Amino acid sequence: MAKSQAVAARSRSNWIIHLVLIAASVVMIVPFIWMILTSFKTVTEATQIPVKIFPANPDWSSYAKAFEKSDFGHYYLNTIFAAFMKTLFPVIFSSMAAYAFARIKFPGRTLLFFIIISVMMVPNPVFYTPQYLLMSNWGLVNTVTALWICSLVSPFATFLLRQFFIGISQELEEAAILDGCNPFQTFRYIMLPLVKSALVAIVIIQLLWSWNELQWPLIINSSPDKLTLSSGLSTLVSMFSTNYPILMAGAIMAVIPMIVLFFLFQKRFIEGVAFSAHKG
Amino acid sequence: MNSRSRYVWAYVMIAPTLLGTVLFWSWPAVYSIYLSFLKSENFGLINHWVGFANYEKLFHDREFWQNLRNTLYYTVLFVPLTLVFSTFFAVLLNSKIRGLSAYRVIFFLPQVTMPAAAAMVWVVLFARDYGFINYLLGTHVAWISDSRFAMFALVIVGVWGAIGLNMLLILAGLQGIPRSLYEAAELDGAVGFRKFRYITLPLLTPTLFFTTVVLMIGATQIFDSIYLLIGKTNVALPSVRSLVYAYYQNSFVYYDQNYGAAIVDILLVINLILTGIQFAFQKKWVNYD
Repeated sequence: MAKSQAVAARSRSNWIIHLVLIAASVVMIVPFIWMILTSFKTVTEATQIPVKIFPANPDWSSYAKAFEKSDFGHYYLNTIFAAFMKTLFPVIFSSMAAYAFARIKFPGRTLLFFIIISVMMVPNPVFYTPQYLLMSNWGLVNTVTALWICSLVSPFATFLLRQFFIGISQELEEAAILDGCNPFQTFRYIMLPLVKSALVAIVIIQLLWSWNELQWPLIINSSPDKLTLSSGLSTLVSMFSTNYPILMAGAIMAVIPMIVLFFLFQKRFIEGVAFSAHKG
Repeated sequence: MNSRSRYVWAYVMIAPTLLGTVLFWSWPAVYSIYLSFLKSENFGLINHWVGFANYEKLFHDREFWQNLRNTLYYTVLFVPLTLVFSTFFAVLLNSKIRGLSAYRVIFFLPQVTMPAAAAMVWVVLFARDYGFINYLLGTHVAWISDSRFAMFALVIVGVWGAIGLNMLLILAGLQGIPRSLYEAAELDGAVGFRKFRYITLPLLTPTLFFTTVVLMIGATQIFDSIYLLIGKTNVALPSVRSLVYAYYQNSFVYYDQNYGAAIVDILLVINLILTGIQFAFQKKWVNYD
């Protein structure tokens, strides 16, 4: 008797929990729904009083307008290319360095590692002016190269991967050394495959960060064909201040690739981001 | 293989990261401090050493104090709200209900959304005359251009974006608490909120502390949402302008890179203090284990 009461109470409280969570989910999703609905409205519908929630006839033209009147083609290419460079190189360089720091006891190891990870304590805006001056010296201001070159290396990824290499048992590595592998071969063929899940997490956060980054692209480039999606959207705002359908169409085009990737690899995305937040 | 040639391999393998870090990150960090003691003319071609002049100017600048206050005000609103909501939803999700992964995905969605794009849709939602939020509430408030409300709008956008990730981190902390503790407490007659107050909260403290520091470091660096939600021509900008926004404006709009460097170096000091607190307490808790 008591047990069935407890079960009943539990399922009742579960209903309440679901109700609260569903209400919260709706709040989380409303901005996305509003983005989509607005992008299909006409300008009149979007600024109508009282508010009109659904467009009478879905109007696709805002997407074409956003694409034509700004330089969305370039925004996409620049963002994709920069994200690619800012993912590929840090993953290669950081995994090599992380392995050496974790597994080879060389003179100066502690000091050199400290030099690398100490920059993690510094807020990003501190770097921007000197980096800008450096780019300016190299004649790289307003180029696509400037979007990624400072991020060829990642102290953060080095730090994370080192933790992983430290956690792997010695035996496999010792066998490889006995077989005559040099440290790079040991790293490449024995150790690297063992940290695959950490590498995937790093690929995901590097992609996400560089895709969404605003301040550096805004500072370093100003020609329309050198902007990224993020900095491009801000020019869209100044061009079409209250033409909401065009702005929302632009916003959707900018976020869609990451959201599609997220839905395809939900688990890996969530784990990757949570993992990096935890260790960082 | 002898150890000397292993060293050589090690240096070769760390070389790209080490050189890149020194060139692109360490040197700029040091140079940023150096810049704050200079006065540049002709776009940096002529530099004079001016000692603490930029900082003196800063400390006599009312706008700087306002910006610092705004940054701290944002932080003390954003961090506790994010923590409370994240903990609340994490506790709900930890109660073995169905659909956990669906809720996780939904709450996480803002995390993968470009902040610039998110800020733009919030502009539309917050609009005074034809915004959805005023329509729902039956109000007629200029959320983002009234200096009394702009900060709240920023905080709402910030919390909306931060709940998903922090909820997950706290959920991971909750799942680390042994069930047997709850069962023992239930035998002693503890229910509902008392279990949360006397078991969950104390054992969750390290996670909550870590989350708080990370959130604070992030909050003091707020820029994206001010730039796009509030915007440079907004009359409410002075009441929300953060240190990073002021840095951006002074360095890249007014081209006073030295003054900008002084502003951002104040931010550096704030962040180093926060990181120091984090390290100090982290050690303390690791020892307790």
